[in-house]
Amino acid sequence: MSSHDVRDMLDLPGDAPRPTKKQKIAAPRPVLKGLAREVQNLSGDNPIAIVPEVTVFKKRRFATRKPAAKWELKPFKNSARNGDSLVLRHWRRKTEAPPAPVLENGNGEPSEPQPALEPEDSTFAKYNVRVQTPKYDEEQYNTKLRNEDWSKDETDYLMDLVQEYDLRWPVIWDRYDYVPPVPQMDVDPSEGAIVPAEKVRTMEALKARYYFVAATMMKVNKPPELMNAAEFSLLELMNHFSPTTEAARKKFAEAAFHRTKEEAREEESLLLELKRILARSERLSQERRELYSRLEAPHSQGNIGVYTSSQGLQQLLQQLMTADKTKKRRSLMGADGMSPAGPGLQQQGSFDRRDGTNRESISGPSGSNNKKGPSQGISERRQLTADEEKMYGVKHLDRITSSGPAFRHEKISKPITSKSSIQQQKIANVLTELRISQRLRMPTEEVGKQFEILLQNINVLLDQRKLADKLTGEINVAKALKAEREKKERAERGEPEPGDEDGEGAAGDGEIKTEDGAREKSAAPSVRAGSVHKRSASVMSGVSDKSTKRQRK
Amino acid sequence: MAPPNNQKRVKGTQVYRPFVYGTIAKPFNDDTNPKPPGTPADHTHSWTVFVKGVDDGDITYWCKKVQFKLHESIPNPLRMIDDIPPGGTFEVHETGWGEFEITIKLYYVPESLEKPQTLYHHLRLHPYGETEEEKEKMKQRGEVPAVVYEEQLFNEPYENFYEILTNPAPAGKGGKTKVLKGGMVSSVGERTALIPLTNRPGSEFSLETENLLLVDIKRAATEVMRMIEETKREIVEKEAELATYKGAIQT
Repeated sequence: MSSHDVRDMLDLPGDAPRPTKKQKIAAPRPVLKGLAREVQNLSGDNPIAIVPEVTVFKKRRFATRKPAAKWELKPFKNSARNGDSLVLRHWRRKTEAPPAPVLENGNGEPSEPQPALEPEDSTFAKYNVRVQTPKYDEEQYNTKLRNEDWSKDETDYLMDLVQEYDLRWPVIWDRYDYVPPVPQMDVDPSEGAIVPAEKVRTMEALKARYYFVAATMMKVNKPPELMNAAEFSLLELMNHFSPTTEAARKKFAEAAFHRTKEEAREEESLLLELKRILARSERLSQERRELYSRLEAPHSQGNIGVYTSSQGLQQLLQQLMTADKTKKRRSLMGADGMSPAGPGLQQQGSFDRRDGTNRESISGPSGSNNKKGPSQGISERRQLTADEEKMYGVKHLDRITSSGPAFRHEKISKPITSKSSIQQQKIANVLTELRISQRLRMPTEEVGKQFEILLQNINVLLDQRKLADKLTGEINVAKALKAEREKKERAERGEPEPGDEDGEGAAGDGEIKTEDGAREKSAAPSVRAGSVHKRSASVMSGVSDKSTKRQRK
Repeated sequence: MAPPNNQKRVKGTQVYRPFVYGTIAKPFNDDTNPKPPGTPADHTHSWTVFVKGVDDGDITYWCKKVQFKLHESIPNPLRMIDDIPPGGTFEVHETGWGEFEITIKLYYVPESLEKPQTLYHHLRLHPYGETEEEKEKMKQRGEVPAVVYEEQLFNEPYENFYEILTNPAPAGKGGKTKVLKGGMVSSVGERTALIPLTNRPGSEFSLETENLLLVDIKRAATEVMRMIEETKREIVEKEAELATYKGAIQT
């Protein structure tokens, strides 16, 4: 007899789909033990909430049966109460004197426990910690702490307050009521009491002053180099206190407190909007990144070598087709079941052509490769840790010009060997001058980097030297021209050449001599400098020709 | 041998291995280095050319064999050294009287699929050096070493080879430690690119030496900077001088 039958009898509605469902429900119902089936069935759909009582008694405590602890009312005092003699009492467990040492004494005299002379201190006294305020004397104040706005008196007053109220700034600010010491009033009391203008200090001003004093004294007592981390960070914190930003912050907070409901709502909605915008842009950039990573040539996941032969390609096509078929999407294949590449024969032909052009595809047995599978490769390769990479000398470079083995020294000296032999000789000269051997003793990577920098600098130096040589040449030309001109002027004025009867010829020789001298002076005359010299010679001869003509006239 | 197409290079990766090559020559001497019987009368020195790992490290797992090409006047000048134990040295002992350039060709292990590479080394028999003092010092030592440090770079090695280069030596195959000269222990099985921290007799290539060299190069770099400054000043002066001359000519 189930609830269904009861319903049936009572003509309750909604039992049409019931019977089938009912059986399902009935099956998994947990069978409660210790109850007759009939009784259980009575409950119908709802399981009976009878929890069988477990009659387990507490175990008796054996063994560790100690006499009940004794307690006593003990007096105590609180040292935090500034010398108050008030003595209160509280319940404390009575301490029993250890009996062992008594018996050992030998004389059997039980040693009296020392009578408690002092009532013990309250355990809470230790929480009465006073703030350490900076101390300073007159001299320190005058040298370090002087301030236009603050008198020493007022500073003292502030320190006292800080001490008293344990750095609780709102309280300090509330109680701050500094009255400057009244100057001697014996001038004229009748004029009425001079009430000094009361200065209202803001909390920030108080804080700024206190932090300044504290930081300064901290530095005086202990140089910052010797401070430990905590002390130093405290000092930094105090040094960086900015009353203006602090005041601004409070003002903002106050404004936020006073805004109306509408404003608050608007702000909230704006924040929501901002969040939405940010999320959108995030998603957008993510999508873009994804797109880029797709656009970039995919890092080929495996070995494409397998597919370079015709068999491999055929196999790939087969694979793709089966994959395509299993997917219940629009098929790659046409309606007639042909592969888009056309009939197989044609396919074969096209691949053969490919084989002809691609040398690599000829070699290599493609059959054996299939076992290896294309998916092996990067995924399989062990990822090395940074330490391991260092140990095994693995470097990841952005650009490797040529794969294959190479020697480091060759690579390092490439900037030299790729230059012309003249330039090479020049670099070698500089290197010997610097006492650096061209064959580096240990061509390691680091050495290579440094050497490259050195070479760059040397190249700059060589360029500059070239320029300097060129300038020397130009100076010489200019000198020669100038000398020539002077001579000419003298000739026009009819002055006799000093110690020079032959005129131009000898003078020209002289010029050439000086030029030779200059050429010897410059250690490595560049080609251009040489050409300048030549040009200067021709110019000079032209000039001298002219002047000789003039003389003949 | 064309590379099989189931291999591909590890892109953007470079693996390096330090090694040492060079020659050590000793003049014949009745007490310490007597002439072995059968040596031609005009030979004055015995010498050795070698390729080995830094600090007696193993290189055989990447370098399979080494061919030394000696001077043509020496009987069968092409010497192929092959099949040496891990941590061993590829070397050739010879006697002779003249210096010449030895061509050293490194053949890599077949897994690397790389072509052999060539190094050139000048055989030194006579003391050399920048100064007389250095030469004298070398003479006192009784042997003339010409040893250079080199790093073998494998740019984008093939995957199989990369595995070899970046894995410790397979256990049971040369993975034992060996006591070296100087009482130091180095494990022959280590396939690392590390170089020892400090010098010890017989192996002067270490981080210590590298640092000294770095200091030297940096000093040189500052010197060059100074020279550049100097030249710059010179140029400025010269330009000024030139300007005065030009000015004088124009007026």
